[in-house]
Amino acid sequence: MHQLAIRLLLSILILVTPNVFSHDGINHSLIGKSKADSQEQCVEPTEIMQKEHFVFLYHQRDKTVIKGVRTKNHSFANCIDCHVSYDEKGKAIPINSEGQFCQTCHVQTAVNIDCFSCHASVPRGRKSVAKITLENEHNFHITKLTNEIINHVGDYSGEK
Amino acid sequence: MKNKPTTSRRDFIVKSLTAISAVYFIPDIITKAESAKPLAQEVTSDTKWAMSIDVDKCAKGCTACVDACVEENGLYGFDRPETDSQWIRKLTIKNIKDDKIKVVPMLCQHCENPPCCDVCPTGASFRRVDGIVMVNQHTCIGCRYCMMACPFKARSFVHENLTEQVTNAPRGKGCVESCNFCANRIDHGISTTACEEACMKEGHNAISFGDLSDTKSRVNSALKKKDNRRLRSDLSLKQRVTYSGI
Amino acid sequence: MDKIVFRKFIIDSKTFWTMFFGLGFFILVGFLCSHYMETEGHYVTGMNNQIVWGLPHIFAVLLIVIASGVLNIASISSVFDKKLYKPLAPLSALLAMAFLISGLAILVLDLGRPDRLIVAMTTYNFKSIFAWNIFLYSGFAAVLGLYIWTMLDRNVNRFSRPAGIFAFTWRIILTTGTGSIFGFLISREAYGTAILAPLFIIMSLLYGTVVYYLILRTINYFQKTLVSEEIISNLRKLTILFLFANLYFLVLYHVTNLYIAKHQAFEKFILLDGGVYTFAFWFGQVIIGLILPIYFLLSDKKKSESSMIKSTFLILIGSFIAMYVIIIAGQAYPLKIFTNYEILESSFFDNVVHSYIPSIYEFGLGLGGIALSLIIVLVGVANLDFLPTIIKGHKPEDKTDSVSQ
Repeated sequence: MHQLAIRLLLSILILVTPNVFSHDGINHSLIGKSKADSQEQCVEPTEIMQKEHFVFLYHQRDKTVIKGVRTKNHSFANCIDCHVSYDEKGKAIPINSEGQFCQTCHVQTAVNIDCFSCHASVPRGRKSVAKITLENEHNFHITKLTNEIINHVGDYSGEK
Repeated sequence: MKNKPTTSRRDFIVKSLTAISAVYFIPDIITKAESAKPLAQEVTSDTKWAMSIDVDKCAKGCTACVDACVEENGLYGFDRPETDSQWIRKLTIKNIKDDKIKVVPMLCQHCENPPCCDVCPTGASFRRVDGIVMVNQHTCIGCRYCMMACPFKARSFVHENLTEQVTNAPRGKGCVESCNFCANRIDHGISTTACEEACMKEGHNAISFGDLSDTKSRVNSALKKKDNRRLRSDLSLKQRVTYSGI
Repeated sequence: MDKIVFRKFIIDSKTFWTMFFGLGFFILVGFLCSHYMETEGHYVTGMNNQIVWGLPHIFAVLLIVIASGVLNIASISSVFDKKLYKPLAPLSALLAMAFLISGLAILVLDLGRPDRLIVAMTTYNFKSIFAWNIFLYSGFAAVLGLYIWTMLDRNVNRFSRPAGIFAFTWRIILTTGTGSIFGFLISREAYGTAILAPLFIIMSLLYGTVVYYLILRTINYFQKTLVSEEIISNLRKLTILFLFANLYFLVLYHVTNLYIAKHQAFEKFILLDGGVYTFAFWFGQVIIGLILPIYFLLSDKKKSESSMIKSTFLILIGSFIAMYVIIIAGQAYPLKIFTNYEILESSFFDNVVHSYIPSIYEFGLGLGGIALSLIIVLVGVANLDFLPTIIKGHKPEDKTDSVSQ
């Protein structure tokens, strides 16, 4: 409870003084490069994202788990996919490790994040391919093919 | 993402070409699956996911479904069989009357009246309206009462810190987990589970998954072909996973 | 006329602090154990996917059952209006509170995600008996607080009887709830019978009475309080009564199970060929926990203290083993998934009777819980006026009359 109160206070503090901690114009990740680096703006204006990303995440979290909504914009997996950095060897650096996207701010604001005890901190595993039904052998073959393609595309875009 | 060195020119060209070729494949698939759920749509009770398992087709010594599940959901263990998670497992069973030996995959039976959801103090165990019984790991407190309540031992408790989770299957220490009919795949419009896909790939076709409301679904044709029964029918749990041949 | 006032526990500070730090040490150990289990994960415990509830649950359920049982003394005084017990009622309520808190603490610290306690307290699934128990437990603590207040504060003393009746009703429901945690598990052969609820109530009465007796005697060792011969002999009579009641319900439970066809295999397991579990049942739960105490109490014609103390310890050992049999043996017996088939092979141990070897950490947590309850009692009696003391006169019959006037 005690910790919770402190966190709450801190979050309020952060919310009312966004400029103190905002890092406009600074590259998102300190080490490595991410897809987000090449983007103009996140799914919402930066200022809103800084203040309210957890609201979006919480909202989407319940919609996804309970109602099966998998839209990309506020999806946690997508956040990581875009914001995770890759080192010069093309290897993804865990987003919650020191100096990385999530951790930089969360250390600064002393807000503990509990996401990565369960969620993968780098894009990992087979990607779900949108809209494929498996009706026959032909399609089955295509599933395999598409998965491979998507993986390659993923690799490619990761190495930008 | 695979660990790969910086792309060489050759790699770059090859990959670009593969990427371009995707343009030719993907639209073809999409047109075939217009009925599949759009990402933004909430699941409804019009869809009734179910699975039928033909025990006579299930092959001895084959663990394709189990392996596929492990890969799909990143269920890599710590070589501690008593505490490692198992979402699907193979059982060898012997008929008491004629001593006939059969093998059968065992997974969450996705009951319509799930005991796990009835007992869960926080409501973390829940039944999605399309019939998938799953754990909301954001509210699971790890009391393990659902594991006490499940008649099929379908659930596992995550006993240690995990680091190699896959993106599609978040899971972590201190929560209970079980088969969720590959909810992530389904929500993305893929109407097959990893286990079914693997079983088909092996050519056994023992597992048939699909939507009960869709008359042409694989599960419906499997149900029509053979008499299916539910395990522990004395408990009237109305499982969505049914078995034929036992 | 003699007057009875409630006093603090007068103990020399050296003894107090020795006890305090002694108990504090165990609490610290218990906390460290739970912290270790939480950070490492439950694989360091003896619990696994087969035996999902282990030693912490034995300790926790036992403490909660005792918590409900020790309120017995207060209930007799207020609900059944027995003046003799009135001086002892506040202590009984304090004990109930202490055991309840520590039982809950163990339960919470054993959760996979104890950090999410706030989720457990804010998100309820009202279909779950477990969620109702969270309500019942926290409510019971509040009711007890109220009850203690009405007993200790003269201004609100007139409400003590209704408060007592309320607390009594609450605790009957509470123990029913605890029993139902197991009773509602339809899938397991050991459980899934409503008779577990009354069985738990009758167990709580027995264990609560002997724990009360033991604590009263311990306090009495340091300080002369009002413990008349009559009360001791009444506690003795109650213990014998509850022992027989326990035996009766235990027989009833197993006979009922024998009549339910699908539970027969489990009965055979627990009564005949369950190895360590059968041994624990017959030797621990039945002989140590019930038969020997009955024998000691009935054979001792002089009704000496020693036979009561001996029985008390035997009953407490028996109570622990009884919980072991109910909780562990119930899970150890494999689930019967198929009706016409027996399971030959499984990677998930579906075909074997599970064994359970508790780890030192679980044991540490359990002991820490007991220490927590004792420290609450110690601090409680040392700082608040819980103990009845006679101002003058010696005749027990007179003493009780003046209580709460």
